[in-house]
Amino acid sequence: MNPILSVEGVTAGYGRVTVLHDISLEAGRFGNVGLFGPNGHGKTTLLRAISGLLQPKSGRILFDGQDIVGHSARAIVGAGLIHVPQGNRLFPDLSIADCMALGAYSPRARPHEAENREKVIKLFPKLAERWRQRVRTLSGGERQMVSIGTALMSHPRLLILDEPTLGLAPKIKDELCASVMDISRGGVPLIVVEQDIEFLLELTQQLYLVNHGAVATEIKPGESLDHGEIMSMYFGH
Amino acid sequence: MSALAEILFGGLFQGSLYAMMAVGLALVWTTIGVFNFSHGVFMMLGAYIAWQLVELGLPAAVAFPIAVVVMAGVGWILQASVVRPLIGRPNIVLVVVITTLAAGSLIENGALTIWGPRSKQIPALIAGNTTIGGVGVSLHQIAIIVITPLILAALWMFLNRTRLGLALRAVAQNEDASHLVGLNVTALYGLAFAIAASLAGLAGIFMGGYRFMSPVMGSDPLLKALIVVVFGGISSISGPIFAAYLIGFFEAACSYYFGLYWTPALLFGVLILTLMVRPEGIFASRSRGLA
Repeated sequence: MNPILSVEGVTAGYGRVTVLHDISLEAGRFGNVGLFGPNGHGKTTLLRAISGLLQPKSGRILFDGQDIVGHSARAIVGAGLIHVPQGNRLFPDLSIADCMALGAYSPRARPHEAENREKVIKLFPKLAERWRQRVRTLSGGERQMVSIGTALMSHPRLLILDEPTLGLAPKIKDELCASVMDISRGGVPLIVVEQDIEFLLELTQQLYLVNHGAVATEIKPGESLDHGEIMSMYFGH
Repeated sequence: MSALAEILFGGLFQGSLYAMMAVGLALVWTTIGVFNFSHGVFMMLGAYIAWQLVELGLPAAVAFPIAVVVMAGVGWILQASVVRPLIGRPNIVLVVVITTLAAGSLIENGALTIWGPRSKQIPALIAGNTTIGGVGVSLHQIAIIVITPLILAALWMFLNRTRLGLALRAVAQNEDASHLVGLNVTALYGLAFAIAASLAGLAGIFMGGYRFMSPVMGSDPLLKALIVVVFGGISSISGPIFAAYLIGFFEAACSYYFGLYWTPALLFGVLILTLMVRPEGIFASRSRGLA
């Protein structure tokens, strides 16, 4: 299987600060991809570069064989590459219904609006109960559901989740992890950034440790790792 | 009785004009996060374009809508030339104050060169006068009092009931997230400016129908609209609308009881008090967003 996304030698940053140094990775060859590593080492920056929020200084990003560097975020969403940003900072004063309508804004997603809405409600029945409520009045877990639900409304061909369980209570986190597994079983390939390695090991087939703006280690399918090894990658040997 | 009628009528009338102006300022602020100091010039230009079209022989019913549409284009172009290139830079609020002031000054002097300093007037929406509650009023003013709420309601419906309006409200709340659902953020910025400029142009046409026009006719309404948005809070469009009418009534009452001379001082007194007590505005929550 060809990778649906490949990042080739991307260097990117903010102003004069370079965060990503010639980073390369692939997604979709073996299934879901997990990214992990210490905070502040470029995971979120990488995702911003992929989704067009940040222009890389050099390198190529191929989505489905086409170089998307320089494409607008809108064009990238239009191609079906959907990024759920970290921290569920969505549209605080819009209702859940509004968010779902926005998710289906792109011409590619609009014909599937009703069908995707069914899917989202089936996945997160809680949202249906609060359909007309403003996002700011929801709990952290519910807001994360809205974020992911909005992304599903965009009819993703590849879904990128940036720390979906960040700051959630353990019980809600388990529910959300189960929902993400459901999405994956529904046939949407995922790239997930997560600090919870157990969850990543369960969800993904391929892992990258991102450290100092580059891939420090790649773990391919079959190369199983135990918890201790990952801890030593995090904290040095 | 006639005092009350006079204040009520004056308040409704001035409030209508202020509301049309203030809503545009609020729309631009909430979506783009900048303050448009050429907003008063939009008002002037709308009036002058309407005047020119009428002068060329078009009936008012054709000339006025054309002027409003032309103003939408002017707003779009201004946004594309002096606002959009600066988006993403640090201190954008301050920089855009300067660029819009400069553009406004340029347009104002351009109008002076093209149309000259002599005062002009455009036809009233409806000619004639009537008496209500012992106060003589023109039908033009009554038309404005009736039309303005309809236009503002239409704007509210557009923002709250259409997909494009939803997109505008979304951009106002979170730009990054708007990019990530595939909104054309640049076009929405242009749209916000276009709507604001059309509304200001319409306010100018309203004003040109009962007062003499001059190239600087927009500066006083801009000042009043600034007071309105500071007073009402700029985080939504309903806040400035209510505030516009309140300020209109306040102004009408002041000029009735204390005279025209004291009114600006009292208005600024209210402004300073608002800034001290409730700097986010009396109708505002502390966040940005259109509703």
